[in-house]
Amino acid sequence: MSLVAGPGRGGTGSGQLPDELGLVVQKHVAYIQSLDTRRDELESHLTEHLRISGIYWGLTALHLLGQPAALPPEEVIEFVLSCLHDNGGFGAAPGHDAHMLYTVSAVQILAMVDDFVELEMRVPNGKMKIARYIADLQQPNGTFAGDEWGETDTRFLYGALNALSLLNLLPPQRKDEPPLINVTAATDHVKACQNFDGGFGVAPGAESHAGQIFTCLGALSITGELDSFLGEEGKDRLGAWLSERQLDDSGGFNGRPMKLVDVCYAWWVGSSLAMIGKMDWIDKKKLTEFILRCQDPEEGGIADRPGDMVDVFHTHFAIAGLSLIGYPGVMLVDPA
Amino acid sequence: MSHGVPRVGGEGEGGVASSQDKIKARIKAYKELEKDVTDRIKNEDYSNTTFQLTSTLLSQNPEYYTIWNHRRLLLQHVFAREFSTSSPDNPTAEGTLSTSDDHADTTAAQKAGLSPSQHEISLLISEDLSSLLPLLKQYPKCYWIWNHRSWLLTKATTHLPAASAIKFWQGELALVGKMLALDSRNFHGWGYRRTVVEAIERLGDISMAEKEFEYTTKMIKTNLSNFSAWHYRSQLIPRLLNERNARREARAKFLDGEFELITSALYTDPYDQSLWFYHQFLMATLDTTNPQAGIILSPCTNSDRKMYLEQEVTSVREMLDGAEDCKYIYQALLEYARRWRDLGGEVEKTDMKEWLGELRKLDPLREGRWRDLEKVLGLEVV
Ligand SMILES: [Zn+2]
Repeated sequence: MSLVAGPGRGGTGSGQLPDELGLVVQKHVAYIQSLDTRRDELESHLTEHLRISGIYWGLTALHLLGQPAALPPEEVIEFVLSCLHDNGGFGAAPGHDAHMLYTVSAVQILAMVDDFVELEMRVPNGKMKIARYIADLQQPNGTFAGDEWGETDTRFLYGALNALSLLNLLPPQRKDEPPLINVTAATDHVKACQNFDGGFGVAPGAESHAGQIFTCLGALSITGELDSFLGEEGKDRLGAWLSERQLDDSGGFNGRPMKLVDVCYAWWVGSSLAMIGKMDWIDKKKLTEFILRCQDPEEGGIADRPGDMVDVFHTHFAIAGLSLIGYPGVMLVDPA
Repeated sequence: MSHGVPRVGGEGEGGVASSQDKIKARIKAYKELEKDVTDRIKNEDYSNTTFQLTSTLLSQNPEYYTIWNHRRLLLQHVFAREFSTSSPDNPTAEGTLSTSDDHADTTAAQKAGLSPSQHEISLLISEDLSSLLPLLKQYPKCYWIWNHRSWLLTKATTHLPAASAIKFWQGELALVGKMLALDSRNFHGWGYRRTVVEAIERLGDISMAEKEFEYTTKMIKTNLSNFSAWHYRSQLIPRLLNERNARREARAKFLDGEFELITSALYTDPYDQSLWFYHQFLMATLDTTNPQAGIILSPCTNSDRKMYLEQEVTSVREMLDGAEDCKYIYQALLEYARRWRDLGGEVEKTDMKEWLGELRKLDPLREGRWRDLEKVLGLEVV
């Protein structure tokens, strides 16, 4: 299975669509399915280090479009399990090293496809094995490393909490057992990443960034501290910052002040707004129009901006963005 | 994930066949190289050739994280070997990864207080850092390249005496300065700068706060619209003042100076978001409900707070002259008026209504937010 690479070519260069054009659902489904058969393109090999995440993005998009079986579940599970290492971590593809990001993708896929049934059948105590790999990456200051080489990032922290929660192995989910991770230290780290503008950065002291805001809110939401930590004033400040990400001319979002719009922020910004209950602070109609303009109406798939090359990452986040807005025909998604 | 790659049209009729052959050949070469590297690592072949092959592969695909791991595995192995075998009469075996064994070098190393193995390790690290420069310049947003550099630097810190290790970090500070001069918003660059500065402070047992503060001044003077530099400045100030042991008077003078700087910049361009960001920061340091901003003025009473609010509202109001369509001004006025009111001050409702009305006209995208603000300010028409 190969699901990351963009198509070689196709689509109109202009990206100008008639106003009435809606979501070309069948074309997107076909596009995601086609990614499996692109081994004749160099791009498909050059993006192998993302493959398992690509499958997660494709699969989630298909679920949101109401066609979860468009990728055969058995093949998906087969592929995912072929990425599992002895240490309980997953690589992006067979032969690639284990890493937090791909372990999280694997857990998300297995939870979605069969709720870990096949995993538990084939790997004794498989869920616990994965959880231990994740837990071992927690650092003394509460944050998480991506792998044994040590890079830390709030993305990994959120990923760890998210995966453990899906595995049902977070400390509050197994109160009678010794905790696998230090939740307090993790949330303290998240809180230390907050800035005066209400946003969060990749580490304490770093500039606010929409992607990091999503991961930090997601983490706080999993640990149940979102409301108590932010408070009304905090939500107002953060909501103001997030709502300023929508740009007047295009209706799309950027990820930081004075940067270009990008369709994937429809998800990072949109879900963050949803988590703090401020979805009404942006113009949903304008955002919808922007997302639809990023589609390749002929070959399917969605790009970062109108007229650019499509890929499965942006296809997924664009569709997830539409889901937040309640676009007809797209299933509702949980923002965290 | 492709960002900013234009969608291309179909290939010209004649070129399709030959370009497909070319693609096939490129895929084949790439897969062979990948297999070669992977097999060698599996067989624990930590030779110079393997090292060079990882370079070739990474230059074709710097996102291939597993290959970066292989490269580190190999280096780690070489470092360990250096420590276990290195002695003057035990030359490095043929074909293994090593640098030139020039004897003049060795003397220089002894002067610097390095053992022969430390000397060799320091050369390896320095070579790897400089050989990766072109790749970093080509892919300044690739996580793994920055990541690898910081790994090399932590190895320098572990294996070398502080005086030698700090030189590496200082070299990185110069490099990241250059990278940020090329792209002042590079996220990885700023993150790397924080790591580098922390390491230099730790190894040298010094504070870089004053120097880094000067750096932000320089960046801002080059380009006022430098959001990330303003952000960094806001992070440095509370610490800077603590290290100066600044008393209230010095702090007040400092704050006034910063207000002067930002106000004159805002008069030049009230449409620049990065300037408003910094203005908001200064105001937030006076806001007790926003502890994340840190502290400038201390001690600070409510009458100090009111004094600054009054001063800034007056000055921001004057900015309207000639910039009546600038939404940031109305936003600031409403926000500061709200704080003024929370401190027990009186605000003309008609003024606030007018500002809110302008804001709604100028910024219809965020109508929901303005509606909520209207409620919070108690400006609803009953
Ligand atoms: Zn994007």
